[in-house]
Amino acid sequence: MERMTAPVRGMHCAACVGKVERALASVPGVESASVNLATEQAAVVFDPARTDLARLRAAVAAAGYELAEARPDRVPGEAVDGERAAREAAQRREKLKFVVGAVLSAPVLLGGMSHVLPWVPGVLQNPWVQLVLATPVQVWVGWQFHRGFVHDLRYRTASMSTLVSIGTSAAYLWSVAVTLWPHAFMRHGAMTYYDVSAVVITLVVLGRWLEARARGRTSEAIRRLMSLAPRAARVIRDGVEMDVPTAEVRVGDFVRIRPGERVPVDGVVTEGASTVDESMLTGESLPAEKAPESSVFAGTVNRTGSFVFRAARVGSETTLARIIKLVAEAQGSRAPIQRLADRVAAVFVPIVLVIAALTFMAWWLFGPEPAGLLALANAVAVLVIACPCAMGLATPTAIMVATGRGAEFGVLIKSAATLERLHRVDTVVFDKTGTLTVGRPVVTDVVPVGPAVGVRAAGGAAAEASGEMTAADEILALAAAAEQASEHPLGEAVVARAKERGLALPPMREFSTVAGQGIDAMTTDGRVLLGNRTLMDARGIDVDVLAPGVQRLAAEGKTVIYVAFAGQVLGVIAVADVPKPEAKSVVAALKRLGVSVAMLTGDHRLTAEAIARQAGLDRVLAEVLPEDKARAIKVLQAEGRRVAMVGDGINDAPALAQADVGIAMGSGTDVAIDAADVTLMRGDLNGVVTAIELSRATIRVIRENLVWAFGYNTILIPVAAGVLYPVWGVLLSPILAGSAMAFSSVSVVTNSLRLKRWRPQHGS
Amino acid sequence: MAVDPVCKMSVEPAKAAAQSTYRGETYYFCAVGCKAKFDREPEKYLGSGKPR
Repeated sequence: MERMTAPVRGMHCAACVGKVERALASVPGVESASVNLATEQAAVVFDPARTDLARLRAAVAAAGYELAEARPDRVPGEAVDGERAAREAAQRREKLKFVVGAVLSAPVLLGGMSHVLPWVPGVLQNPWVQLVLATPVQVWVGWQFHRGFVHDLRYRTASMSTLVSIGTSAAYLWSVAVTLWPHAFMRHGAMTYYDVSAVVITLVVLGRWLEARARGRTSEAIRRLMSLAPRAARVIRDGVEMDVPTAEVRVGDFVRIRPGERVPVDGVVTEGASTVDESMLTGESLPAEKAPESSVFAGTVNRTGSFVFRAARVGSETTLARIIKLVAEAQGSRAPIQRLADRVAAVFVPIVLVIAALTFMAWWLFGPEPAGLLALANAVAVLVIACPCAMGLATPTAIMVATGRGAEFGVLIKSAATLERLHRVDTVVFDKTGTLTVGRPVVTDVVPVGPAVGVRAAGGAAAEASGEMTAADEILALAAAAEQASEHPLGEAVVARAKERGLALPPMREFSTVAGQGIDAMTTDGRVLLGNRTLMDARGIDVDVLAPGVQRLAAEGKTVIYVAFAGQVLGVIAVADVPKPEAKSVVAALKRLGVSVAMLTGDHRLTAEAIARQAGLDRVLAEVLPEDKARAIKVLQAEGRRVAMVGDGINDAPALAQADVGIAMGSGTDVAIDAADVTLMRGDLNGVVTAIELSRATIRVIRENLVWAFGYNTILIPVAAGVLYPVWGVLLSPILAGSAMAFSSVSVVTNSLRLKRWRPQHGS
Repeated sequence: MAVDPVCKMSVEPAKAAAQSTYRGETYYFCAVGCKAKFDREPEKYLGSGKPR
């Protein structure tokens, strides 16, 4: 079996996705095919012995789409530029079509409205002028709808394209007939509907363009991920150091990493020691200690030390490359949703066709002379009136206003489909570190062994000014003094807390860092030791007296720092990542919305559960490897859940892409933001609630819009069919059709604008 | 002042780099290395040097 990913061109709706997938799956030898509308990619697993690319392309072409040049399914990215250019070109095309449509439709519309606007020049009422103006709109601007109609016909489905194509074609062809043979038609009061055909197409194209503008940028995540690995590496081969491109680093090469450099490939340290910031891969804010035998990973950033490592995994084998691949796969496998408007159209179209047919037959059988002409005229009228031009605006206008309103609350929504997915989300999964939590350690407890000793911070005015310190403050002050120069996040947490408490720090000299253990510093009165159990043991400091307290703190998932002074342990400082202040209320608000909440983390179960308890979470998925985060989301989706994932790290990117809706914290990495559908600009979790509430409000408005859009026209269908004719002699006239268009459009736009006043229910 | 039993340097107990308790007596060291040596074979170093 071979796996291949290739761009598909020409798709514009969820129904297209199904068609391309069915077309691919129908080729003998294809095991599975999944198509992604957002990235316009098809992922195909096939048996190369039984089929080949040419056959796949032929199958896709037969369905009316284009399977573009495939690229081997390894690290994707080179094709990203080309794809983006193609997408931008598509957006420009929609825009051009709208502009042309608008320029040509305006005079046609004016001509059609001459009965209400007496100042309209007579030339615009000339059907030949209208024909010339409306033809490019009907044929060129509306081409995508006619093509869509043909596709739908082949698969016996119906979408918005079907409705637009049928309605406008009926209006246009009828009008052409009236223009060509005016005597045959006009005598019986037949009129042209050029304005309906031109305006409907233009407005629907406007909607398409508005949505196209909001799409794109999904492949940026991959581009950014790729830029994480440095372009060149300094390798040592046969004792000679040289710079080679990262792609040419081989397994077994020795690679030298200097302070501040990025690691180019995965490997194992052979000499030297350093700390490495791996937060981009693990989400863990504490830098990882590296000594000989430690593993290092491509894309991570070396801090202060320098080391040499032996390359173990290069190219597409590195952890980073696997994450890139996971993101690409997740983006390619997301199930498309059928857009609301298309679902409505799918039901509406057959009904309208049946009514049109019945109308034709009724007039043919029971109508006055000329029965044939009147039957045709009224059947056409049914088709014309059934195509609501406001339908094209129902979704885009609501989404435009909603995304604008969302932005005012710091919630950036990437695409229209996102809002439609978001309102159905029933499970929200939070990444732990940096998303649900503040993402850096904070001092949570200070546990002294005994009462303050007082003399300890002696020496200098600062100590006198501080007066009597509690035992806890004394420990903090000593620890903070020793950590002052530290850049270690644990040290920063201690210093930050001492500052908060306004503690005077005793003077210190002779700081030294003991790698992997802690800090050793000297005051005038004695030596201060600050660090883990290993440090205390190495210095012969007896810490047994603290054992019960330490056990309790560890059970709460906290990191314990021992503080010893002059050979005696004074106490411990407990440090932990804590939930963001709003975490608990956000979780509660989500539950009130009927959404279940889970947490996903690579951290130990103990730590994870401690955080979960504090935030009030139902479900904890702990000890999940970065590569497995996307799989964990898949498992939830397999349970039938619609999952929104909230994350901030590069390691979250595959899960963000896999989830039905990915939500990135604006404070997070660019990769996460690119992989996600929603970005919370303020790094504030309340945005998750806001986004879900906004999506629900938006979908409500879209539904109302569809009712408005279809409503006026639906009411007029019986009129067009001639139900009122026997009694009052009323038939559909361009005035009625025009009014329906105007009223429904105004209603839809006005209704959408109500979202401008929307605000979150959940107090933020 | 205490004397490091390994290297015989005099060490101020409060500022000692490390310490070790052996048979109820606390010994102070100038460096972690001295303590490690002492902990391996305390008797070797206690022959002549008297703890304070």
